[in-house]
Amino acid sequence: MEILDKLVNVALIAATLRTTAPILLVALGGSFTTKAGIFNIGLEGQMLAGAFFAVIGSIWTGSAFAGVACGVAAALAFALVFAVLVVSFRANEVVVGLALNILAGGMTISLMKAIFGTRGSIVGHGIVGLPKVQLPGARAVLGSWAPLISGFTPIVYVAFIAVPLLVLFYNRTRLGLYIRVVGEKPEAAEALGISITRVRYTASLLCGLLAGLAGAHLSLGYITMFTENMSSGRGFMAVAILIFSNGDPLKVLWGCLLFGFADAFSLRLQTFGYPSYLVLTVPYVVALTALFALSYRARPKIITETLASMQRLLSTDKNIEPGGKHPS
Amino acid sequence: MIRDRLREVSGQIIAIAVALILGAIIILLVGESPVRVLMTLLRGAFGDQEKIAGTLLQTTPILICGVAACIGLRGGMFNVGIEGQLFLGGFAAAWVGFAFALPPGIHMLAALALAVVAGAAWVAIPAYFRARYNTNEVVSTILSNYVAVLLTSYFTIFLFKRPGGWSETPPILATAYLPELFSFSRLNWGLVIGLVLALGAALIFRYTSWGYGVTMVGSAPKFAEYGGVNVKRQGFVVLLLSGAVGGLAGGIETLGVHHRFMEGFAPGFGFDGLIAALLANGSPVATIFTALFFGALRSGSLLLEVDTSASREIITVIQALIILSVSAQVLVKRRGDSQAGERRWKF
Repeated sequence: MEILDKLVNVALIAATLRTTAPILLVALGGSFTTKAGIFNIGLEGQMLAGAFFAVIGSIWTGSAFAGVACGVAAALAFALVFAVLVVSFRANEVVVGLALNILAGGMTISLMKAIFGTRGSIVGHGIVGLPKVQLPGARAVLGSWAPLISGFTPIVYVAFIAVPLLVLFYNRTRLGLYIRVVGEKPEAAEALGISITRVRYTASLLCGLLAGLAGAHLSLGYITMFTENMSSGRGFMAVAILIFSNGDPLKVLWGCLLFGFADAFSLRLQTFGYPSYLVLTVPYVVALTALFALSYRARPKIITETLASMQRLLSTDKNIEPGGKHPS
Repeated sequence: MIRDRLREVSGQIIAIAVALILGAIIILLVGESPVRVLMTLLRGAFGDQEKIAGTLLQTTPILICGVAACIGLRGGMFNVGIEGQLFLGGFAAAWVGFAFALPPGIHMLAALALAVVAGAAWVAIPAYFRARYNTNEVVSTILSNYVAVLLTSYFTIFLFKRPGGWSETPPILATAYLPELFSFSRLNWGLVIGLVLALGAALIFRYTSWGYGVTMVGSAPKFAEYGGVNVKRQGFVVLLLSGAVGGLAGGIETLGVHHRFMEGFAPGFGFDGLIAALLANGSPVATIFTALFFGALRSGSLLLEVDTSASREIITVIQALIILSVSAQVLVKRRGDSQAGERRWKF
């Protein structure tokens, strides 16, 4: 029990919120593309590019927020290339996403070598990290629980505020509705005169925006440094979350909190002397388990949907073209 | 027919040319001369017979991983977990190599066999869920890569560390070595195994009904199902085979080159293999050439690091650019007709 007390306390919950923020942002970004019917495996690369250029921008301008802007711009550039290839050229999403991830990995390392002459990581050089926001009155109201809402970097607040905003966006705005229609029933969108291309471009760029913020949080948030491949699979975990949440912001939040907790918990375990290599696998194992467990649970839905669409197919006229939309 | 093939190949070459031009621009951006980089790459890859052997040595794992990826792609499966299968296969082979004493030859075969089993076992769970519940295999295999790399590091450093060594297992016994082809290089029979695998896979896809079924499931699953193929079981088998070949690649790398398992012993070969297979459009024979191309890039990049200020990762940038430009041109042509078909990877 005593060990449990040491492992689970206010500091752990605060750490969970911190580690949740980047994965939440990148997953919320991915929710735009998921809702628009694009499988975006390139989140990892956008995030990595965001992290690298945030550091560059921060050194260059001496301002953390200008650094964040640089990171977002880089992620947007990656998102734009993704959109051009996938939406306009109709290239395979998986191939383009993977290639962009590899590109981001190679490019950041090459540029690091070219600019700083080093391999591995960028530390110092005058990187300015993001300030921590102390909410006034938090300590007076919550006492020792204050670290739960106060003392985070601005990006953490943005991540959590984005969840309700996205719920409103999908349910209450025209663009949100368009994105959902384009993803679920592209034929209907076309019939309504919605430009599928334009909506998918918008969704991809919105995704790049949030992925860039997530990357900037990695390199300018709680540690101010850039290391090779520092996104370390968070973009892929986000994709796993998107698969079983179907991009719904609230479900994304729960999934991300789970991973943030796994992340923070594994960091904790390391300080207690468990072999770091095994402990580091925890977030990935959690992601895989969740992915498998929830796809098992989702099975009845797939079957019922298939049956329903078959019935529809049989009951309506027999002249439906064979190339029509396939369920699941 | 031949004209189609010619058009396809020429399209591929134009795409590579576009990528090389973009690559040249990036090389200029990092402050190097593209011509100097190209000459250094060529010298590093084909400068003398040792360099050529070095290129072939780098080609071997890329080729075998490429064949693994081809098997998956043919069956409509993206096995992005070859990297992890490679690591586990490599570790499994090393373990048999140092923990057991067996007669020469048999020892090596046993080690390779366990590498194959390890690779297949590692992909078995993602494969099962892909086949049974349609769980996206791209994500599950990518995530399992991270676990595989960390797990083998754990085995190496905590369980089987060579006393006094640095994050590596004890050396394997000489009875498990893959024989070398020449005296001046570590180039070994792995290359021959890779070529045989590539040709064998091509023959199986071309001349057996099973291979035909796999290709059908990959390109037209409805048609294959109608034709009596058990699509689910076949998807499972395809991923398992792909993983087995990935594990074999790792075993060959340990038994032929390093003669021990080291942390991070073969970085990126799995991804290079996947890219080589994508560039070859899933054809095992064409993968021989794309793997050679990437092997030359890799081998040349070693000299790049020494002779120029550019980092060797510049070649991964070039590889990625090639894939991006190829993906654009191939699919503009093929997928222009249908909306439904191209959303195959939607979940």
